[in-house]
Amino acid sequence: MTTLKLPHPGSLAALAILGLVAGGFIALASFDGGAPPLPSIGPYLGRVLAFTVGQAALSTLLSLALGIGLALALARRSFPGRGVVLAALSTTMVMPTIVAVFAVFAVYGRSGWFAELLAFLGWKGSFSIFGYPGILIAHVFLNAPFVARITLDGLNQIPTEHWRLAAAFGFTPGQIFRHLDWPVLRAELPGIAGLIFLMCFKSFAIVLALGGGPSRSTLEVAIFEALKVDLDFGRVAWLALIQLAICLSLTTLMHWAFTRPPVGHTIRSLVRRPDAKNRRLMLVDAVVLAAGALFLAPLALSVLTGLRNIPDVVDADLLRAFGTSMTIAMAAAFIACVLAVALASAARRRRLVLRSPRMAALYDVLPDALLAMPPFALTAGLFLLIQRFGDPSAAGFILLPLINGLAAVPFTYRYVAPRLLTAEERYGRVAASLGLAGWSKFTIMDWPVLKRPLAAGFALAMALSFGDFGIIALFGGTELVTLPYLLYERLGAYRLDEASAVGLVIVLVAFLLSHLSGRWSDARD
Amino acid sequence: MLRRILLTLASLGLAAGLAQAQTKPTLTIYTYSSFAGKYGPAKTIEERFEATCNCELTWVTAEDAGSLLGRLRLEGQNTKADAVVGLDMNLVAEAKALNLFAPHGAEVKDLSLPIAWKDDTFIPFDWGYYAFVYDANKLPNPPKSLKELVDNPNGPKVVLQDPRTSAPGLGLLLWMQQVYGEKAGEAWGRLKPRIVTFTKGWSEAYGLFLKGEADMVMSYTTSPAYHVVAEKKSNYKAAAFAEGHYLHVELAGMTRTTKEPELAKKFMAFILSEPFQSAIPETNWMYPAKTPAAGVPVAFKDLVQPEKALLFTPEEVQQNRRAFTDAWLNATAR
Repeated sequence: MTTLKLPHPGSLAALAILGLVAGGFIALASFDGGAPPLPSIGPYLGRVLAFTVGQAALSTLLSLALGIGLALALARRSFPGRGVVLAALSTTMVMPTIVAVFAVFAVYGRSGWFAELLAFLGWKGSFSIFGYPGILIAHVFLNAPFVARITLDGLNQIPTEHWRLAAAFGFTPGQIFRHLDWPVLRAELPGIAGLIFLMCFKSFAIVLALGGGPSRSTLEVAIFEALKVDLDFGRVAWLALIQLAICLSLTTLMHWAFTRPPVGHTIRSLVRRPDAKNRRLMLVDAVVLAAGALFLAPLALSVLTGLRNIPDVVDADLLRAFGTSMTIAMAAAFIACVLAVALASAARRRRLVLRSPRMAALYDVLPDALLAMPPFALTAGLFLLIQRFGDPSAAGFILLPLINGLAAVPFTYRYVAPRLLTAEERYGRVAASLGLAGWSKFTIMDWPVLKRPLAAGFALAMALSFGDFGIIALFGGTELVTLPYLLYERLGAYRLDEASAVGLVIVLVAFLLSHLSGRWSDARD
Repeated sequence: MLRRILLTLASLGLAAGLAQAQTKPTLTIYTYSSFAGKYGPAKTIEERFEATCNCELTWVTAEDAGSLLGRLRLEGQNTKADAVVGLDMNLVAEAKALNLFAPHGAEVKDLSLPIAWKDDTFIPFDWGYYAFVYDANKLPNPPKSLKELVDNPNGPKVVLQDPRTSAPGLGLLLWMQQVYGEKAGEAWGRLKPRIVTFTKGWSEAYGLFLKGEADMVMSYTTSPAYHVVAEKKSNYKAAAFAEGHYLHVELAGMTRTTKEPELAKKFMAFILSEPFQSAIPETNWMYPAKTPAAGVPVAFKDLVQPEKALLFTPEEVQQNRRAFTDAWLNATAR
């Protein structure tokens, strides 16, 4: 049976991503002509790898624990200001790393708020957060709120009918968790855990600043050193490949270990969870929320110290940088959304139509490849590719939205993929019986379900791009000044106060975007 | 939303087109970001050079000297750079190996550098000594030598930069090697308990120091001048060390691939002229390579004047950097 068929757009997107990543690698590896020698994984690299994996795993576990605890507590409770808290949750993750580092020191440093509090209480000793405590505090601060946010979105998807049934059967809190919450968590866990693990694996400035010594440095440090100090691009390509291999095999394993259960045919509406009335859970939630607030709020609030320097930084430069950042963020978010929708619909076809969940899991993992790739290596590789076809001085304008967009795909994918599955499970048969396919199926069946999560994904991708410094380090310029660029430029000129004000502007924009994103994704279908 | 993106892209394209339509020749200069930033010297230099050259200067930036070189290597012969401002001594060997730089052809004499300068590829445009900076209100008796800092178990806590990722970090690595030679590893081991951390770059370390996380920070002898001039604070000082201080020299060069070689040469000659040099001290917070006729600003006259400049040649750095870094890792990464 041979019928000529156009490939699925998702397969094209997957091929394009693979092509970009592979092309980037090959361009780097063959830069000096011929294949570079494999770097030996000596005791140094071995130690670095062990530490990198160890800290990333620990950071991920702690972020998941706090994040899921917060999500469950927030799902059960409503209180004044809950909307603001929800919006703040996805703000921390997009903070420029240096803002996060300074936040940790402002609170837990030698002369931070915590030390002042202890001194006020009459405690005379001293403590140091350098090493694992500092690294974990920073990583959990950045990531746990994001886990909470995404998990909460998932919990909100539980069908109204299920809650009615649970209430009618008189489910205990334990049963509610087992039959209603756990399936959601199991579906969301591999994706989130993968994202957090990748981000902590690649974390670099934070690990150096808070690690307290070179025994605590990640593989990114070695990659950075090879690229900027040794100028040994072959080594960069190999190290990046090691990073990619480790990250992808771990995330693939997780996706295979936790398969996603099907969702119900349903509508959603706001329900009060029956377990909200349970006394013991009230206590648990109060403790979790209080602990979360005590840990997260001071760190987040310390960023507000930039407020008093805002008047010093509002000038033409800042407005221009804001405009540039906005433009790039929108272009990046557009790229991220298109790719995510294409990949997610291909994954859906594999999972539900062709019944091959393992192939589908490969599509789920593919976006992670973009995150596992060291941004520096991806940029350098893509630059080498682009350079052959066009003007290198325009490279920044193309690369910046492209790389930021690619890096945001794993995040938008988390928003888009589950909803596309929902659409198919709810309406797939009806659509098939009506003969809907291709574009008309997308506009009639998928779009109504997809538009809100897509808008939320768009906003998140924008926020991510907004806070990104990565490749601007290499391809900035007086014509291409973004807000994070401005922040580092001021830091380099001793203007720490102005830098913290610029940092605050970035965080505020991220907060607004996240607020919009939350309102869109929370809205009823 | 899409329309707005398209509009913006179109206007970007238009701007690029207009830029090309200009009749004046353009000189593209690569530099690091703070040099071309709001407080950097680039704007002044641009105005002053354009007043004489009937040309346009454009600045293209990368984060720091290492990124500049990385970008140049990526671009290779296709680079649009006519000149590069902001490399340093420790990158010279790698920079020359790129085979991208041309002899500058400028007359280099009467420099205020503490060393003789003979290179015909790179011109020094400013310089300074690495030094440990401290707050005199909190640390009234700073160490008087590197040895005192290293050997006193109750000495001040320091925040340093990672030599694998940062220029001052590499500077201290070389400084330790100059003072301790073969025994540098052991010295690192003795200093280690008082090292707060090694940050990725100068900015993080200096920020930690200002926020009170450490008593001293690895920076430059010229850093206190910033606090005096811009913040009117005189409590920040650089500690003078008896062994001498490691020298940091910032360099400029022109490319072989430039389409405007005459203009590029004119710019190279301009670098050591009064209009360029007088713009340096209070914007880049370094000593000008050639002291202007009016001298350096008052705040610079009160700075610590090391008796001896310590320096490895670029070739020595290139050959030994790996070994020095490994010794440092062995001593500190336990």
